[in-house]
Amino acid sequence: MTRSLPRRSQEPVAWSLFGAGGMLLAFLGPALVLITLLVLPALLADDVAAGHAAVLAALRHPLGALLAFAGLSLTFFHTLHRLCHGLHDLHVPLSARLVGWVGYGTATLLSLLAGVWLLGL
Amino acid sequence: MRKPLPPRQDALWWWRHPAYRRYMLREATALPLFLYALCLLYGVRELGRGETAFQAWLAFMESPPLIALQAVALLAVLWHAWTWFQLVPKILVIPTRHGTLPGHWLRLAHVVPAALCWLLLPLLAWWALGQFAGGGA
Repeated sequence: MTRSLPRRSQEPVAWSLFGAGGMLLAFLGPALVLITLLVLPALLADDVAAGHAAVLAALRHPLGALLAFAGLSLTFFHTLHRLCHGLHDLHVPLSARLVGWVGYGTATLLSLLAGVWLLGL
Repeated sequence: MRKPLPPRQDALWWWRHPAYRRYMLREATALPLFLYALCLLYGVRELGRGETAFQAWLAFMESPPLIALQAVALLAVLWHAWTWFQLVPKILVIPTRHGTLPGHWLRLAHVVPAALCWLLLPLLAWWALGQFAGGGA
């Protein structure tokens, strides 16, 4: 009898990204939503040019770009991880492998887009 | 004859118990947050396309459906944060001489700095943007 080696699970990687995203969201998420909901409209209503320059400067700074990339990418991995598991919880009849590939694939693609667009600023 | 398999758990199992409903609500926070992150990603692209595009993105973010999405995202991320910090003591176990660090301390050590972030970062952004936008608005 031959026994195949156990397949290496992608779960630890997925869970690390999920966990990092969850922690980042828990600390920074409410502040970020308050900023886009209240601060940006209130301050940039009369001077969009200055606001554009300010946000551009913040995201062109290496630290700002890194934070924005981490924030976007980890949020995508966190939320898509939960949504994929949510499909399973709701008994949506799709194979876990397919859902995993589509979910984490989407998160990877969106992270790439975030990286490309942030570097292109 | 073998007995047939018992019926599978139905798709609405999570509706039957308050704890399951809270669990589903926690998992559901991911949906508005995912959509919100997509909007921010779109904002990064528009930012790079110049001032007019950025202004259009700002107007898009201020449209009623997007205001509603952001309001839901705010509630969702607060619920996410609350439930997330409740789970910390289950994952983070710190040994001490007399056992392990009590869970409520660990939760407090996360909730307090997080609440400070939620309050101070918007104020900081307000101040920093105000500097840029010509001596404060």
